Amino acid sequence: MPLTLTFLPTKQNFTAVYRRFTSTTLCRWAESIDPKAFHPEMKIKDSSMMKKKTGKDRFLPKPFSAFAAGSSKMRAICNTNNAVANDSSSRLNIVSPPDTPLSAKEWEKLKEEYQHFKKFENVMFESMITNHSPVEVAKSLLVAMAKRDGDIEYNYLVMYLAICVFHKDIEEIYDIYNIMKAKYKSLEASAYSLLIKGLSGSPHWKETLVLLEKVKKVSFHSKQNYGDCIEGALLNQERNLAFELFHEMVAENLTPALTTVKLFFDFCQPVKEDHLKNKCTNILYYLRDHQIYPDESLMLSIKQWFESRQCPSCGHLLEDINLSEEEFINVKEKIKRDVIEGTDVFRNTSPQELERFQRFVNEHPPFDVVIDGLNVAKTTLRNPSSKTLLDVVFYLAQKYHRLLVLGRRHMLKHSFQWRKSDMDVMQKKADFFFTDNMSKDDPFLLYATFHSGGHCMIVTRDLLRDHKAVLSDSVTRRLFFKWQRGHQMVVSSYIPGKILTFEDALPYDTIVQTDGNTWHIPYDDNLSNRASFEIPVKWLCLQKK
Amino acid sequence: MTKYGLFLTMPSKISTCGTLRMIYLNKNISKNADENIDLDEWKSVVLSGLEKEAFEKASPEEEPNIAAIKEYIDMSRRLGKAAPENITEEQLKRLIEYSSVSSRNRYLAFLASKEMRKNAEKEKKKKQQEERDELRKTIDNEDLTPKSRLFRAIWDSSMDVVYNWKAAQAMSFGQPLVFDMDFNDMSEREMQNTVNQMMECEGANRKAVEPFHLYYCNLKEDGPYHKEFLKRYGDAWNNLFVTATEKSYVELFPRDQIVYLTSDSPNVMETFDHNKIYIIGSLVDKSIRKGVSLARAKRLKLATAQLPLERYFHWKSGAKVLTLDQMIMILLTLKNTGNWKEALEFVPKRKHEGFLDPSLQHFIHRQKNRKMSEQNFKKKLLVEELSKKRLWNGLWEE
Repeated sequence: MPLTLTFLPTKQNFTAVYRRFTSTTLCRWAESIDPKAFHPEMKIKDSSMMKKKTGKDRFLPKPFSAFAAGSSKMRAICNTNNAVANDSSSRLNIVSPPDTPLSAKEWEKLKEEYQHFKKFENVMFESMITNHSPVEVAKSLLVAMAKRDGDIEYNYLVMYLAICVFHKDIEEIYDIYNIMKAKYKSLEASAYSLLIKGLSGSPHWKETLVLLEKVKKVSFHSKQNYGDCIEGALLNQERNLAFELFHEMVAENLTPALTTVKLFFDFCQPVKEDHLKNKCTNILYYLRDHQIYPDESLMLSIKQWFESRQCPSCGHLLEDINLSEEEFINVKEKIKRDVIEGTDVFRNTSPQELERFQRFVNEHPPFDVVIDGLNVAKTTLRNPSSKTLLDVVFYLAQKYHRLLVLGRRHMLKHSFQWRKSDMDVMQKKADFFFTDNMSKDDPFLLYATFHSGGHCMIVTRDLLRDHKAVLSDSVTRRLFFKWQRGHQMVVSSYIPGKILTFEDALPYDTIVQTDGNTWHIPYDDNLSNRASFEIPVKWLCLQKK
Repeated sequence: MTKYGLFLTMPSKISTCGTLRMIYLNKNISKNADENIDLDEWKSVVLSGLEKEAFEKASPEEEPNIAAIKEYIDMSRRLGKAAPENITEEQLKRLIEYSSVSSRNRYLAFLASKEMRKNAEKEKKKKQQEERDELRKTIDNEDLTPKSRLFRAIWDSSMDVVYNWKAAQAMSFGQPLVFDMDFNDMSEREMQNTVNQMMECEGANRKAVEPFHLYYCNLKEDGPYHKEFLKRYGDAWNNLFVTATEKSYVELFPRDQIVYLTSDSPNVMETFDHNKIYIIGSLVDKSIRKGVSLARAKRLKLATAQLPLERYFHWKSGAKVLTLDQMIMILLTLKNTGNWKEALEFVPKRKHEGFLDPSLQHFIHRQKNRKMSEQNFKKKLLVEELSKKRLWNGLWEE
C-alpha cells in the first residue's frame, strides 16, 4: 500500500495529499523542518537599526526548536565549542580464546602462560563470550575443569549457558537446564533469563512459563523475560497465550520492549481472525495511552500488517492538542499544589508574595500570552537585555491582545542591561509582575498561564523539565507535556534589528491516533536520538479505501 | 496465575531420559569434534553423585518465602555478584520490602561491603595480636631497667578530663553554635549519616582551642534523632557538654543576631562575627533538595549567609554543600584565627583546583575585562547612533 508521510507545520499549511499509485509502495519521509521557512521574518520598524553589516556575520542565529526529536543533542553540540567525541574505550581483550577445542593438558599449559590472573577460567570465559567463541571450545574448557576438580562451579555453567544461548544450541541449553535442575534448588535472575531466552525458540518452550513463575517467586520479572516468553508462544502459534502474557505484563506496570510489540504485528499477520485483529489494534491503543512511539523497524511491521487491508491517500486532520476541560482543570490543580506550593511554600516564594500574585491575576482579565521576561531577555548577548525583551514584546503585541511579562525586581533598577526607558515603553504594551529576587519565577509563569485558561500561550526557552518532574503522577506529567507542546512559543532565532522568528506551538498532538478509518502513527527513525522531552517528527499514515 | 496450571502440572521427564539423550548426543558431536577429546565428559562428571532432583516445583500462590530468597542470594554469590555470605532475618525482611531489582541489589551490595570490612578488621586484629605476642617474647628476654621520667604516661582518660574542662568553660562563656534538628523527612540511611557527622562535630569541637557552646535545637524527645543519638552514644549522651533542647533557636536568641548558614543564600559571608549566632541545618540529603534550609530561614525571617567558596576557589566539581564536620572545622578555624585560607583547608581537595587570594590579579582582571567589553559595546552603539546623525538622547548617562 502506498504511504504518505506528511509533516504538518501549521493548520493553514495542512493540505490534503491525495496520491494514486498503481502497484508500488512509496514512503515519503517528512523532512525536518527549517523553522525559518514557516515564520514570517520580522522587520523592526526602527530604521536606525536597519544598518547593513559589512563583512561576515559571525553570529548566525542558532534556530532553537523545542520539541523535535534530536534537537537537544544538536543544541548540546552547538553549545560546546568542540563536539565531545564518544569515548567508548572498550576493555582490551587481554586473553584471546583458542579457535579449536583443546585437551585438558593444553588448557593447563595455557593457564600457566596467564599465571598472573587470579581466576584464569573466569577471564577466559568472559573473553569467549565477548568474542563469541564456538560452543565446542567452551565445552572443552569445561571438560578440562571437570576432570581436574570433579565439579563445575555455578558461575562457569552460567557463562557457558550464555555462549550456548548466543549460538542457539538448543540441545545443549536443554542439557544444561537439566543439570542445573539436578544440582541446585533454585537459580538466580541471570540464569533464569538466559534459560528463558534459550528455550523460547525450542520445542521445550513451555518450560519458559514455569521458569517465569520461578523468577517471580524470588525476584522481579523483567520485560525481557516476558518478551522472550511471548516470542516462544508466538513461534508456536499460541497467539492467545501470547496476548494473555502481554496483558499480564502490562498489568505488572512493565513497559513492553518495542521488539516485543513488533513480534505481534509480525506473527498475527497471516491470520484472518477478527478477534486477533482487534487485539493488535488494542496494542496500538496501548501505545497511544502511554505515549510510546514505535521505532523504524516496528513502523515497517505495522505498515505491513495493515498492508493487506489498507490503502493510502490521506488528507485527514490530526488530533487537536488542546486538553479537555476536565484534564485542564486536573493539571491546573496539580500545578498549583505540586509546583508552586510543593513541600514548603517558602522554597519557591513566600505566602505574602503568592497572595500578592493571586490578587494581581484576579484583578486582571485573562491574558493571551505570558512571557518569561528574564528568559527571553537573555536570548542574545549582543543586545542589552531590556532591548531584546522590548523587541519581543512589541512583536507579540501586534498579534495578541493582552500580554503579561513576569520578571524579578532587579529588572526595575536602572543598569546597563536594564534600561529604564525601555522598561517604561514596555509597560504601556504589557502588564508586568515582578517577583522578589530570591523567588523562582517559573511557577508564577505556569500559574498565570493556567489561570488565564486554555487559550493562553507561554513564551520561554525553558523546557520546564524540572517542573514536570515535580508533578506527582505520570498521567499528569503526560498531560502537562501535551499542554506544553500546544502552548509554548519559543524564540527560535533573533538578531537585533534584523530577524526575530518564533517557533509556534504545535497545533496537533503527536500521538498514535485513529478515527476508525485512518491510523496515524508517529515513529522514531534510527538516526535521531530522541530525548524523553522530545517528540518524533515522522509519521506513518494509513487509510482504508 | 492459575492459567498456567496446565503447564505446571505437566510431569517433566528429566533424570533418566536426560542421560539417555546425552549418550545419543555424544555420538553426534564426537563425529565432528576432535577425536581425542570427549566434549560431553563434563556432564557425566557433574551429574555423578547427584541422584535426586533438587529443583523444586514452583507454586505461584505462595508468598516469596525466606528460604527461596536465601537460596537466591547464595546463587548470586556463586555468580560473583556482590552479596553477603550471612544475612539476618531482620535484613532479609528489609530486603523483601524493597520494591525493585536495583534497590535490592544495592542493599545486598551494601551488606556485602559491610561484611567484607568486618572480616578485614578481624584479620587485621589477629595479625596485630600475633605481632604483639612476638614482641612480648623478645621483650621478656631483655633485661628491663626502669627509666627516669618527668611524667607518668598520659592516657586518653586524662586528656578527656582536660577537654571536658574546656567544654564546660565553653558552656558558660563560649559563643553559641546552633544545630537545627528539625529535618524529619530523611531516610533512615541519611539519618544515620547525619548523627555520624554530628558526633564528629562534637568531637572536633571538644578538641578545639576555644570550643563553641553547641546547641542542638528542635531536638524532639524520643524522635528519630534522639533515638539514634541514644543508640550511638549510649550512657555518654547525658554527660555531653552540649545544650540539647526541644526549643527553637528563635526562642533562645535575639533574632537580629542569628545567621542561618546555607549554600543557597544570596549573601556571601565576608568575615566571621564573634557576636553572631550561626546556625547549621543538620541535614544530609543524598538526593539534593535545593533550598530546604533557605526556605526555613525565610519563614522565620532570619539573616542568611553562605561561605565565600566561589571567591576563594577555582571551583571544579561537586556540590557546594559541605558536610557538618567540615562546616564546624571551618567555623572553628575562623573563630580562632580569622584566616580564610587556613579555614577553607577543610573543603575537600577534589572539589576545587586550589586556593586563590581574591586580591590576586586574576579577579581584577576579570572585572576589567567585563567593564571593557561593556564599554566597547556602548561605543559601538554610540558610533552607530551618531553616524545616523541623530541627536544624543541621554540614554547612557553614568
